[in-house]
Amino acid sequence: MDMIVFILTGAFATATPLLLAALGELVTEKSGVINLSVEGMMALAAAMGFATVYTTGSYLLAFAVAAGLAMLLSIVFAALVLIFSANQVASGLAAGILGLGLSALLGREYESFTLQAPSGLSVPNLSNIPVLGSILFEQDIVVYLTVTTGLCLMWIIQHSRAGLILRVVGEDPHIAHNLGFNVLRVRFLAILFGGFMAGLAGAYASTILTPIWSQGMILGRGWIALALVVFGTWRVLRVMIGAYLFGALLLADLAVQTLNLGIPSQVMTSMPYVMTIIVLAIVSRNALRIKLNAPVSLGQSYRPGQ
Amino acid sequence: MTQKTLPMLAAMIGLATSYSYADSPLNIGFIVPNPVGEVGWDHELDRGRQMMEAHFGDQISVTAVDSVGEGPDATRMMNRMAAQGADMIFLGSFGHMNDGILLAKRNENLAVIHAGGYLTGERFATYAPRHYQASYLCGMAAGYVAEDAELGIIAAFPLPEVIGMMNAYVLGAQSVNPAINNVQVVWLNSWFDPARNRSAAEALISGGVDVLYSLFPGTPAAISAAEENGVYAVATLSDNSQFAPTKHLCAGQTHFGAIYINYVNSVMNGNFAAGDTFAGIAEDAMEVAGLSPDLTDNQRNAILAKQDEIRAGTFEPFTGPITDNSGDEVVTRGVRLTIGDIKGMNFLVQGLDTTLPN
Repeated sequence: MDMIVFILTGAFATATPLLLAALGELVTEKSGVINLSVEGMMALAAAMGFATVYTTGSYLLAFAVAAGLAMLLSIVFAALVLIFSANQVASGLAAGILGLGLSALLGREYESFTLQAPSGLSVPNLSNIPVLGSILFEQDIVVYLTVTTGLCLMWIIQHSRAGLILRVVGEDPHIAHNLGFNVLRVRFLAILFGGFMAGLAGAYASTILTPIWSQGMILGRGWIALALVVFGTWRVLRVMIGAYLFGALLLADLAVQTLNLGIPSQVMTSMPYVMTIIVLAIVSRNALRIKLNAPVSLGQSYRPGQ
Repeated sequence: MTQKTLPMLAAMIGLATSYSYADSPLNIGFIVPNPVGEVGWDHELDRGRQMMEAHFGDQISVTAVDSVGEGPDATRMMNRMAAQGADMIFLGSFGHMNDGILLAKRNENLAVIHAGGYLTGERFATYAPRHYQASYLCGMAAGYVAEDAELGIIAAFPLPEVIGMMNAYVLGAQSVNPAINNVQVVWLNSWFDPARNRSAAEALISGGVDVLYSLFPGTPAAISAAEENGVYAVATLSDNSQFAPTKHLCAGQTHFGAIYINYVNSVMNGNFAAGDTFAGIAEDAMEVAGLSPDLTDNQRNAILAKQDEIRAGTFEPFTGPITDNSGDEVVTRGVRLTIGDIKGMNFLVQGLDTTLPN
């Protein structure tokens, strides 16, 4: 029982950096741009977010600095793909490597430093509910904000005018252009939002989830966020469920090992990846629906007037 | 890739200038795979280098580079060092092994010393500390403070060296607290993952352990988590007291410097022999550090007395009878395991509650 509560409680925090980055990438991809620099943006944000908390003690400032830097990196990427119509995959990889390199350089002074972990919130009254109280109402504030952001995005993308414009641009930039929308501006804002969210994800990873900075600590979580968007078939709710499931399975691996059920640890360690793929594959088994959700112009450059 | 360019450039310029006077001091190249942090593998390698430099002073000239993990960068770096007249090169990553062997083969006046590999070759030596000796002593500390006799271990990979340390730790704990049984183990299957390391610590803590042993985690994340949750922490490689000011129980502190000084002496005296160094407490390469003030004087003295016995050679942790966790006696009474047995250890002692892959 303790173990199940441990898994279900911890999964929220474990999933939060993945979800933040994935939500940002989802919006970017909905506009028809694939940004592969998520890992690099997260690393850069993690390094500088950590450094900010370490030197000033302010989490708010740290998240602002981290988001700002990741947005700067996303502007570099945006300049390459929007102004120079460079290949999106290559540009994203380049910007990502730049981010990783900068994170190592800027984080050098803080290598393997640690911070005091901030204590979680405890929602009055509700957190006293047995079991469910500690699972749902003793998380940190970023977890609640992330879930709220996800729910808002779900509505915005599906039902608002802004969401409709975003989707039109992602489906067919030429039609969007003919309808009078500024395709490049929409894509730029979507890329910027992706950077903003990746920045928050990085700062969360290095200051709250694991209050430590070490070069390379993001360890592929940016790539997992990218994969979640694809396996979640560009649907916000599925991406949210996928991230939570992945977080829960990551912890289940560790928790089950402590019980020693005789399962080799390597099998358990691969479980989150295997299970997330299986579950999302089943959820998204309808190929037609994937096609409906996938932005048609994803990865294609657009130049106005061509 | 990018992060390695700066230190590499700096090192190349450094080499170009320092190696032009080839006859006077002994030229030594020193490569460490990751950034040198506050604790852990790279930090200890680098501390060993400092100890070596302090010992030899002007007699040696050392060019140190960090953040050069295995791969083409490392190959280039070591070839460059050799080409510019290095007499000795120290390689700090397991992954430098194959390149290092080739390097030694190609350069007749070069001694290559590699950390923690399993191969030796012509002018290619390898070394490893006897971590398990300190593990045994820290196990004693854990046995003393574990009120509910619940121990938890977070370990990197199921390799013989790691298994040996776990076994010694449990044997040490059981030697002072026979109630120790069902020691919980979480394998990270990674040398470095702070987030997973922390989660593993939290999983064990929620499982009710009194003491957490963080075995080669590559990061102090588990030690911090133990401190926050009021659980004792035992660390490997370095004293981690700074990450757990009140809950640091014990650490196996390595002193690579002692090993390096011997190698440099042998090269200076012209009797460098490529081989395998397995150095422990007796060779001053290992000791317990950061013992918690919560241990009573008697307990602390018992641990230090045992350390003296290991130093004097009158005690070895892996002395029979030892029973494995399926109940078979694997080492008979009075028999001491050989270095080969220890380096190839593939059984778990009684009390370790985990499964090894076949």
